Amino acid sequence: MKKGYPRFFLLPGLILLIAIIIFPLLFTIRVTFSSWNVSQTGLNFIGGENWAEMARDTRYWGSMLRLFYLSFLTVAIQYALGFAIALFAWKGIAARRFFRVLWLIPMMTTPSLMAIIWRSIFTEDIGALNGILSRVGLNPVNWLTESGPANIAITIVEVWQWTPFMFLILLAGLLSLPKEPFMAAAIDGASAWKTFARVTFPMMAPISIGAIMIRLIDASKIFDSVFTMTRGGPGNATETPAAYIFQRSLQDFQIAYGSTLALMYLILAILTLTIIGKVFARLSKPRGI
Amino acid sequence: MYKVLKATFITIWSLFVLFPIMWAITTSFKPESAVVNGATFIPFLEFQPSLIGWKAILPGPDSITNLITPTLNSFIVTAGATAISLIFGSLAAYGLSRFTYGWKNYSNADIIFFFVSQRIMPPVVLAIPFFLLLKELKLLDTHLGLILVLTSGLMPIVVWLMVDFFNALPREIDEMAMLEGCNPIQAFFRTILPLSKPGLTVAGMFCVIFGWNDVFFALTLTATKVLTLPVAVIALNGTVTPYWILAASTVFSIIPLVGLAFVIERFLSRGNLGGAVR
Amino acid sequence: MFTKKVKSLLAVALPVALAASVVVITPASAGGTLTRTPGQEVSYKAYGAEYANVATTADGDDACSWYETSKKDYSGKTLRVLTHAIPNMGKPTALHAKQFEELTGGKVEVEHVSFGDLYAKQLRSYQTDTNQYDVVFNGSYQIGDFHSYYAKVPDSVTKGKGSLATLTPLYKELYKWDGETKLFGIDADRHFLKYRTDVYENAAAKAFYKSKTGKELAVPKTWKEYNLHAKTFNGYKPAGQPAGLKFAGTTEITQKGGLMFGAFIDRVAPYAKNPNVKGGFWFDENMVPQVNNPGFVAGLTDFVEATKFMPVGGKNFDLSKEIESFGRGDSLLSYTWDDAWSKSNEPTSPIKNKVKAAPLPGAEKVWNRVTKKWDTPKGGVNYAPYIAWGWSSAVTAASPSKAMAFDYLCFWANKANHKLDLTIGDMGVNPSRTEDFTSDFWVKEMNWGKPAVDSWLGTMQNYEKNTNRVFDLRVPGVSDYMTAMENAVAKALAGQATPQKALDEAAKEWNAITKRVGITKVKSAYQNVIALEDNIK
Repeated sequence: MKKGYPRFFLLPGLILLIAIIIFPLLFTIRVTFSSWNVSQTGLNFIGGENWAEMARDTRYWGSMLRLFYLSFLTVAIQYALGFAIALFAWKGIAARRFFRVLWLIPMMTTPSLMAIIWRSIFTEDIGALNGILSRVGLNPVNWLTESGPANIAITIVEVWQWTPFMFLILLAGLLSLPKEPFMAAAIDGASAWKTFARVTFPMMAPISIGAIMIRLIDASKIFDSVFTMTRGGPGNATETPAAYIFQRSLQDFQIAYGSTLALMYLILAILTLTIIGKVFARLSKPRGI
Repeated sequence: MYKVLKATFITIWSLFVLFPIMWAITTSFKPESAVVNGATFIPFLEFQPSLIGWKAILPGPDSITNLITPTLNSFIVTAGATAISLIFGSLAAYGLSRFTYGWKNYSNADIIFFFVSQRIMPPVVLAIPFFLLLKELKLLDTHLGLILVLTSGLMPIVVWLMVDFFNALPREIDEMAMLEGCNPIQAFFRTILPLSKPGLTVAGMFCVIFGWNDVFFALTLTATKVLTLPVAVIALNGTVTPYWILAASTVFSIIPLVGLAFVIERFLSRGNLGGAVR
Repeated sequence: MFTKKVKSLLAVALPVALAASVVVITPASAGGTLTRTPGQEVSYKAYGAEYANVATTADGDDACSWYETSKKDYSGKTLRVLTHAIPNMGKPTALHAKQFEELTGGKVEVEHVSFGDLYAKQLRSYQTDTNQYDVVFNGSYQIGDFHSYYAKVPDSVTKGKGSLATLTPLYKELYKWDGETKLFGIDADRHFLKYRTDVYENAAAKAFYKSKTGKELAVPKTWKEYNLHAKTFNGYKPAGQPAGLKFAGTTEITQKGGLMFGAFIDRVAPYAKNPNVKGGFWFDENMVPQVNNPGFVAGLTDFVEATKFMPVGGKNFDLSKEIESFGRGDSLLSYTWDDAWSKSNEPTSPIKNKVKAAPLPGAEKVWNRVTKKWDTPKGGVNYAPYIAWGWSSAVTAASPSKAMAFDYLCFWANKANHKLDLTIGDMGVNPSRTEDFTSDFWVKEMNWGKPAVDSWLGTMQNYEKNTNRVFDLRVPGVSDYMTAMENAVAKALAGQATPQKALDEAAKEWNAITKRVGITKVKSAYQNVIALEDNIK
C-alpha cells in the first residue's frame, strides 16, 4: 500500500477532534493548579492545594462509591432486560415490528425533559405512582425523601431511558448472526436454552462488550435524573460525582476545584474502563464458536 | 408455561415503556387544578381536558413562548454536528479498520479508545474552557460553535460503531476495487461507502439522538440567537413548575425523534441494519 | 407615470404633514410605532389573552412614564437582557421589552434561564470579559459577588421623579454597596408567617387545642409554639379544608438547592441574632463562623422536629412545591416569601380569605456569642425577622449602552407598570414602595379580604421598624456559603447527622471557603452586612 493513504483516512478526524478538545483539556489541567473561583478570576498558581483538598473530600469519594453501584447496577439491568426484549423482538412473537418501535421510544426522548416528567411521577404528594398506590389502597411511598426508594427511583428512570440503547444494538447484532451455527445446534437436537448458552450468547459477546462499555461511560455521567428528582438528596443519599461536580463548578462557581474533581474522575474512569475492557477481552476470547 | 411468562413479561415491559409517555400526554391536556391538587388519570372522569398547556407553546394569542425557532435551531445544529461526525468519523474508522497505525507502543485499539474516551468527561467542567475557546473564535451563540463542540461528543460514537462495521466488511471488496485500478481513497468512496449505508444510518441515528438531546452545551454556549429546543423548554421551569406546559413541550420535542424510531424499525425489518454493529 | 405622481404628491404632502404634526400633535413617538399622550390609560390587554383581566391605570407623571419613554428614540440600537424563566420576572421582562420596543424603536433581546443559570451565566460572562449582557436580573443577596461588575444607578432614577424614588428606606439601603446604589430594586422581599384563619379564628379548633395542650390558641410567637401548633393540628380537619385534602401542620422549603437556606435562616435568626451583641451575626470579629453556635443548632433542632408534621413529600419541597402545597390548602402554617401568600389570595384559590400574615415567630431564648450563654429576651420573646433577598436587576458596567439600559429598567418599573405588575401574582413583583402599603389598592383592585391585607401590610411595616433584623450574607462567595450550610441542614433533616455534627461540618467548610475567597475580602465585604444588622447608617 502506498504511503500517505492511511493518514488521509485517520488524520482529518483525529486532528479535528484534537483541535476541539485540546484547549479545554489543557485548560482543565492547568486550572486545577489555580484558585479560580467566584472572587478570583484567572490562572494564578497555588500548587497542589486543590488536589490535597480533594483527597480529604469525603463527600466526593462517597459519591464515587455510590456511582460504582449505581452505574454497574443500572447497566447490568439494562443489559439483561435489553437482551431479553431483543431476543423476543428477534423472532417468535407476533407484531414484532410494532414492539420494536415501541421499545425504542424511550431512547428518543430528551433525558433532561423526561426527568421532569419522572419527577411528576415520583413526587410524593401529587405524583402518579403514589396516586395509583392510594387508589388500590396502599400507603404512599417516600420515593424521593428516603434513601432506599430514592435510589430505586433513579435506577428505574435510568433503566427506562437506556434499556432501548442495549435493545437496539443487541437486536441489530442478533439479526446479523450467521444461520449455520443455529442449524448445527438444531441438528444436534439442542434445547432452546442450550442453543442460547452455547451459540447465541457467545456469538453476541463482542457486541455486548462494546455496548456495555459505551453505556458504562454514559451511565457514569448520570446527572439529569439525580439533579431533577432529588438534587442528590435525601441528605447526600443519591449524589453522584457528576451532580457534585455540577454543584461545585456551577452553583458554587469553584472552577478550579470543580475541574480538579472532574480530572480525577476522568483518570479513574479511564483506568476502570481499561481494566474492564481487558477483563472482558480475556473472558470472551477462549470461547467463541 | 414459558409462553405465559413471555407474554407477561412483554406486557409488563410495554406498559412500563408506555407509562411515562402516557402520563406526559395526559398531563399536557390537564388544567392547573388537575395537576396541583393530587394525581388524576382519566380524562373527563377525573379531570376536564384543557388545551391550556398546548396553547402556551403553540403560536396564538395564549402563547407564552415560541418553540418554532428553537426547533429549527435544533434541526440545524443536530444536522450539522451529525454530518461532520459522520464524514470525519467514518473516514477515521475505515482507516482504523484497514491499516495499522503505530506510534511508540500505541496501537489501533488505543487510538479507538482515545476517540471513545472523549465521552467520559462530565460536560460541566468543560463549560468555561469551551466558553473561552468559542469566545476567542467569535463563535459564541452561533450554530457553528455549538456544532463543533457537539462534534467532539458525537464523533467518538461514529468511530466506535463504524470500526466494527468496516471490520465486518470483507477485505476482498477493497482489494477487488484496487485491482481495477482504484487507489484506496477511490476504493472507499466507490465501493465501501455504498455498502455502508446501514452502518452510517445507525451511527447517524445515535448522533441525531445525542445531538438533539444535548442540553448542557447549548445552555452554556448560546444565548438568544441559537436557542435550542430542550433549552427553550427547560427555561419554562419557573418558580412554580407548570407541569402541564412542560408536559406539552416535552411531547412536542420528542415527536420528531419518535418519527426516527419508525425509520430505524424499517431498516431493521429489511434486515440491512444487521451488519451495522458487527 | 404613476410613481411620478405619487412622488410629487408626497413632495407636497410630507412637509405639510410634518409641519402640522409639530403644531397640532403633542403625542410623542420619536422612534417607535406607539404614540402616547400624557396621562393616557395604560393597558396590557393588547399583549395577549393572559392579560385580558388585568386592570388598567392612568400613566404616571414620573420620569420614565409611558409618555416620557415614547419621546426617546433608540432606533437601530439593541439591548441584551438576561432574565429569569417565565413567569417569575421573565414575564414582566418580556412584556416591558415589547412595550419598550414599540415606544422607542429600539430592540430588546431577552434571554430566559433558570435561577441557577442566571448566576452561572452572569459570572461566566464577567470573569471572561465577554460582556454578553446589558441588563441582568439576579437575587439581591448576590450583590457581594457582582457589585464590581455593575454600573451605579443614576440619581435621576432613585430621586425626584425617578421610578425608584419612593422605595422604602430599608430597601434603599439594601440595594447599596459601599454607599452607592448598585442594584435596580424592582422588587422587595421579606419572609413572613402565613397561617390559616379557619383554625386560628375558629372556636372548635381553639377548644381542640386547649383540650390537647391546656393552652390558649394564638398566632405563634415563637418557633417552639409554631412546632407545637403544627404537631397538634397535623391530621386535624379544619372547618374550611378543601374536600378530599389531608391537613398537615407545616409546609416548608426542605430541599437543598431549592432555596432551603432561606427557610433555615428564618428558623435560626431569633435564636442567634442577639440585639445586645453587635458586630456580626454570621461571623464574629475574628471571622469565626457562627453557623454552628448553639443558636443555629437550636433552630436546626426545631427544623428537624418539624419534618414530622409536614404533608406527604414535604421533606423534598423546593420553593415551587412550598407555594403549591400551602396554596392548595395542605397545611396550617407556612413562611418564607410572598408567593404562597399571593397564591392563596388568587380568585381561584381554595383557601381564599382563610389565610392571614404575621411576622416570623421569635424565640424564648437567644444565644449570646460573647458571654457564651443563653440570654432571656426582654418581653420574653426575641424577634429577629430575616429580610430575605428578592428580585433585583442591574446594568452591567461594561455595557456599551448604559443610558438605554437604564431607560429600559426605569420604564420597566415606572409607576403605571409597577402598579399593574403588582396585581399579577406570578410576575413576582411585590410591594416595595411607600404607595404600595395602602390597603385600598389590594382590597379594591385585587378584591382581597381587608383583614388579610391589613395583617400582611402590618407585618411588612413591622419589619421596617424592627431594629433586630437578619440579612443575607452579602459577601463574595455567598452561594458557596449557602450551599455548604444547606448541605449540612439537608443531612440533619434526613437523619444522617445530628444538628450539632452537621453544622460543625458546615463551619469547617465555611472556614475553607473564607480561606479560598480571601479572609480580607470577605471581612471587608461583611462590614456592609454588619452595617445593616446593627442599623449603622
